[in-house]
Amino acid sequence: MSDMPPPRFYHFAAAVAAGGLITLMVQFNGILAIYGSLLFASWIPHLTGTCAALIMLAVLRPRRAAMARPPIWTYLGGVSGAFTVMLTSFTVNTALALSGTIALGLVGQMIFSLFADMRGLFGLPKRLPGRQEYKSLALIIAGSMILIFFGRGA
Amino acid sequence: MIWLAGLAILAGVLVSLSRQINGRLALSTSATESSLWNHVVGLTFLSFAALLFGGLFAGQPQAAPWWAFLGGPVGMVFIAAGSWLISRLGAAQTAILIIAGQMISGVALDIMTGTPGNLWAQVTGVALILLGIKSGQGRKS
Repeated sequence: MSDMPPPRFYHFAAAVAAGGLITLMVQFNGILAIYGSLLFASWIPHLTGTCAALIMLAVLRPRRAAMARPPIWTYLGGVSGAFTVMLTSFTVNTALALSGTIALGLVGQMIFSLFADMRGLFGLPKRLPGRQEYKSLALIIAGSMILIFFGRGA
Repeated sequence: MIWLAGLAILAGVLVSLSRQINGRLALSTSATESSLWNHVVGLTFLSFAALLFGGLFAGQPQAAPWWAFLGGPVGMVFIAAGSWLISRLGAAQTAILIIAGQMISGVALDIMTGTPGNLWAQVTGVALILLGIKSGQGRKS
């Protein structure tokens, strides 16, 4: 069924905490966008993030997981990320607004993630989600949609 | 409207694609190194966009408070975390748990900053999300 060992509690905790980091990051970058251009608000975090990664590598010196060189395309994740920023900063200013952009983005993420898991795309472990996991996904998506569309408006 | 919706969905697909590619790089290197390359390549790409379209320093960016520049380091940790988690939780579960954390912390921030909100929607939404996190953990592989 699955090439992946069962996840542990700290993996769950780390993923939820990482979601908290996005909330923080969106706040910071949003303030940059008030003072500067949208491009600036994306360019600066990439610059300061690069510096932070260099410092962290110099301090922690993590071991390389494999001796073999990774394929060249694995270095291109940042292009996809940069395109995302351009797309979303466009769609939030249309009829979709922020709520539509977030809700549809969530749908796109989930469909492609499930497809990728089932196929084991890009050399990542293959896994078939079970019933319990689909239930979990449905509950979190339902709760998110309620927050996106009804959470802010009184 | 349909093509706008398509663009917003595509943005979500690209988020997932980016995390998978970074996750694959982390399997050969490390999560931090994967995050570094994500940022270097993104920075290069955006710099070309800036040269092409101009207007990078439009407005009054120097007037922004210094701490607003900390989004970069926060994002760097976030990308490293995603690259580390995706090969351990899978793409779907990594994505949904990050979304769950984003939603719950968003509500917490709204409450802390006194942003007006619909209390019932907030309670129902957060309760469903917590239930979802709990039931996902019960998965036996």
